[in-house]
Amino acid sequence: MYHAIFVSPWPWWVAGPTLGLVVVLTAWLGGKGLGVSTAYGSVCAAASRLPFFRQRQFHEPWRVWFVAGLPLGGLAAAALGGWFAPGLAYGSLDALTGGSLAARAGLLFGGGLLVGAGARWAGGCPSGHSLVGIAQGSVASLAATVGFMVAGVAVFNLLVAVLGG
Amino acid sequence: MKGRRFLVFGALFGFALSRARVTDYDTIAGMFRLTDLHVVGVIGSAIATAAVGFWLLRRSGNRTATGQPIELRAQPWHMGAVWGGLTFGGGWALSGACPGTALAQVGEGKLAALFTVGGILGGTYLYGRVRSRLGTPAAPARAAAAAS
Repeated sequence: MYHAIFVSPWPWWVAGPTLGLVVVLTAWLGGKGLGVSTAYGSVCAAASRLPFFRQRQFHEPWRVWFVAGLPLGGLAAAALGGWFAPGLAYGSLDALTGGSLAARAGLLFGGGLLVGAGARWAGGCPSGHSLVGIAQGSVASLAATVGFMVAGVAVFNLLVAVLGG
Repeated sequence: MKGRRFLVFGALFGFALSRARVTDYDTIAGMFRLTDLHVVGVIGSAIATAAVGFWLLRRSGNRTATGQPIELRAQPWHMGAVWGGLTFGGGWALSGACPGTALAQVGEGKLAALFTVGGILGGTYLYGRVRSRLGTPAAPARAAAAAS
C-alpha cells in the first residue's frame, strides 16, 4: 500500500481523479474554487500600489495559504517517495541547453515571464481554468486551455528545432 | 491570517501534482512532443471528476459541509482568454511548468524552478503595470476571483 501511494508512479486514471477530488474537497470543505496564479498577484499586491493589484481577488488570504501548501506537498511526495535530492538538474532540458546553467535559467525565467503575464491576461492558469473552469462549463476556460495547448505544442517544437534536441 | 486550512488543501494539491508527474519536465515535454498522452489523460480525468463533484454540490444547493455558500462562478467570455492562453502556452513550453507545478517543484528539490517562480512573479507584475497604465482593469476582473 505504501509503495502504491508514495513510490510507484500513479497511472493517469489515478492521478487525474485524485487531482479532481482535491478540487472538489477545496470547494466542499473550503467553499472556494481553487486557483494558483492569482496568488502571484497577491504577492505583487503586497509590494506594489499599482491600481491593477488593488482588485479584490488579490487580497484574499486563502489564496496565499493554498499556494504555500504546494511546495510542502511536493516536498512530501519527494521525501516519502525516497528521491528527495535538492539540486539544479532539470530533466532533459539540461541536455537541450547543452549543460549550461545560464541558458537553463534564462529559459525558465523567460518562460516564467510569459506564464505570469499570460495567466493574468487569460484570467487563470491550468488549475483555475482547465480544471475548475472547464468543470463548471466555462467557454472562456475552454478557450484558454486550447490556447495553452496549441501554443505549448507549437513553441516547444520550435524550441527543439532551434536547439537541435 | 484567515484561511489557514487552505494550507492543507494546497499541500494535497501539490502532492497530487507531484505524484501525477506533471512536475516532471520530461513528462510535460512528452505531452508537447505529442508522444506521451499521460498528461492529457490526467487533465481529462481530473476535469471529469471535478465536474461530477461540482454537479453533486450544485444539487445540494452549493453549500459547504458546514452550510456556508460555495464561491464558484464560471468566468464569463472575454478575448483575453485566447490571447493570454496562447501567451501562457508559449511560456509553459519554454519552462515546462505552470504556476502550480513550479511551486511544487521547488518543494521537490528541483531548485531550478526558483527561476521559473521568479519569472512568473515578474510576468504577473509586468502585466499589472501595463494594465494599470492603460487605465482599464483586465477583462475578467470581476470573475477572476472565481476562476483563476
